[in-house]
Amino acid sequence: MTKKRNYKITAAFIIIALCLALTGSLLAIFYADSDHGTYIADIYQDGVLLQSIPLSEGTSPYRFTVTGEGGCTNEIEVRDGAIAVISADCPDKLCVHQGFISNTRLPIVCLPNRLVIRLRENSCDAPDALAY
Amino acid sequence: MENRIPLRKLTLLALFTALSLAIYAAESAIPPLIPLPGIKLGLANIITLILLRHGPAKDAFFVLVARILLSALLFGQVLSLLYSFIGGCLSFCIMYISNRLLYKKFPFLTGALGGLFHNLGQLLTAFVITSSAGVFAYTPYLVISGILTGLFTGLCACFASRYLLPHISHFS
Repeated sequence: MTKKRNYKITAAFIIIALCLALTGSLLAIFYADSDHGTYIADIYQDGVLLQSIPLSEGTSPYRFTVTGEGGCTNEIEVRDGAIAVISADCPDKLCVHQGFISNTRLPIVCLPNRLVIRLRENSCDAPDALAY
Repeated sequence: MENRIPLRKLTLLALFTALSLAIYAAESAIPPLIPLPGIKLGLANIITLILLRHGPAKDAFFVLVARILLSALLFGQVLSLLYSFIGGCLSFCIMYISNRLLYKKFPFLTGALGGLFHNLGQLLTAFVITSSAGVFAYTPYLVISGILTGLFTGLCACFASRYLLPHISHFS
């Protein structure tokens, strides 16, 4: 009897913990920074900041290639407030499929080439304080 | 030669390893629905869950390790071996504990925990490899996908063992 009650309590704890994890994650996604202002794209490889590119509206598209250790390459395109990996020599191509990003919600990560592209808010035109 | 593996058990474990490899191969043929690294169904976990529930944990672990090594050999690269090994070990530990605590009841909860911790293990590996905290922005997505796919594989394991076990009742 105690054994039976024990496992039901454990199950209830696990269910509560999983529900908390789910709602926490959903809240984190929905309350994450949405599109406003302009951003700066930071390109990291092996944890080292390679380049910071301000993404402003109205820039004409241009491309460049990032070559990492061991000769792995990612071709990056910058256009109108967005940045993407256009082509890469990694096996899974998930970074290419992710397409253009224009907010801080989700960075582009290419795990095989250890490349991370993250946007951060351009602090110059972000509001100094928020009034509610 | 005291601890020789009985032939029947060896055959069954080999069969389960082949089965999980086949499931893994079939799953990797499905194009990814969400283009994010780390999000997939993890159907091969069904076999681990069944073995963990109905056999000794040692056997389940052997089959898991054999599947990870063989799948890296056949389909993947060296890096994906590291990801699946760390994720697999972490999820196996948590599934073992929850299976013990729940007295083998509610396999879908065990599956959900396994999926969650598999993804967290992969996230940690990604953090170590890219050495950039940016990968942690994926945490909410990986937590949700891990729990949902884990629930699904847990239910699959539940139904599969109902039909599979009568045929392998001599196991364990």
